[in-house]
Amino acid sequence: MAALPKRIIKETERLISDPVPGITAYPDEANLRAFTVTMNGPDSSPYEKGIFDLELYLPDDYPMCPPKVRFLTKIYHPNIDKLGRICLDVLKDNWSPALQIRTILLSIQALLASPNPDDPLANDVADDWKKDEPKAIEVAKEWTAKYAKAKE
Amino acid sequence: MKVEIVDWQAVASWHWDLKDDSITDELCGICRVAFDGTCPNCKYPGNECPLILGAGCQHNFHLHCILQWLEQDTSKGLCPMCRQVFEFRKDFNTVTKDINSLLMLIDGHKSMRDREVDEEFDSFDDDLRMND
Ligand SMILES: [Zn+2]
Ligand SMILES: [Zn+2]
Ligand SMILES: [Zn+2]
Repeated sequence: MAALPKRIIKETERLISDPVPGITAYPDEANLRAFTVTMNGPDSSPYEKGIFDLELYLPDDYPMCPPKVRFLTKIYHPNIDKLGRICLDVLKDNWSPALQIRTILLSIQALLASPNPDDPLANDVADDWKKDEPKAIEVAKEWTAKYAKAKE
Repeated sequence: MKVEIVDWQAVASWHWDLKDDSITDELCGICRVAFDGTCPNCKYPGNECPLILGAGCQHNFHLHCILQWLEQDTSKGLCPMCRQVFEFRKDFNTVTKDINSLLMLIDGHKSMRDREVDEEFDSFDDDLRMND
């Protein structure tokens, strides 16, 4: 495997020495481009007190292309589908090499705090959300309590 | 006294000769390496990989870094830092193949943008016709 670019080494060091509040990200020993991520649900959101597992992968052409990020923990959110894929502009067309792993993780955390059912990925969830928001928020809370538990 | 040299290491330091010295202390916004270091594609710094100084905006990059970014369609020809259309200062002694590629990429993105504007106008015309 090609040597890890300096930028990735620097980003990784900073993620570990100066972590983003509520987020941990560690590279896998076997593949330093693959990260195991945990994210705390933002306070006063339906995901509050939940701890979500994600995987993040830096493709070979990173930082020309965005990291690939996916939720592993089941989550009820209009912009996250059944497979954990995330609908977020900075992970697609609005990516720029000025962004980093940490800014991407912060954007995902912000997406948990403010779901956007008008730009949905999970259409059924977005429909529920638009039809009956209080009920959708209840379901999101139930799923959080059920699936996003802290590991013992 | 007799001095015996056991080992020696040659050390050379390298520095861009720029009018504005503060730039060489900056990091390239793409690879996050100082401009006095090489871009990730080069072994040695030098004229093969000059600094590209933003003309429309104040952002600077290694030639190979900005080249690789503008090769992406998703870049839309924009500066990665401020998302303005990227233009650069063209005061080079020698215009290398890579500088030429950069010029061509920037032109390519410009004509893509022009075409998109034309298409918007076309569909606008269509809309008007439909309303007639
Ligand atoms: Zn660079
Ligand atoms: Zn280079
Ligand atoms: Zn700029």
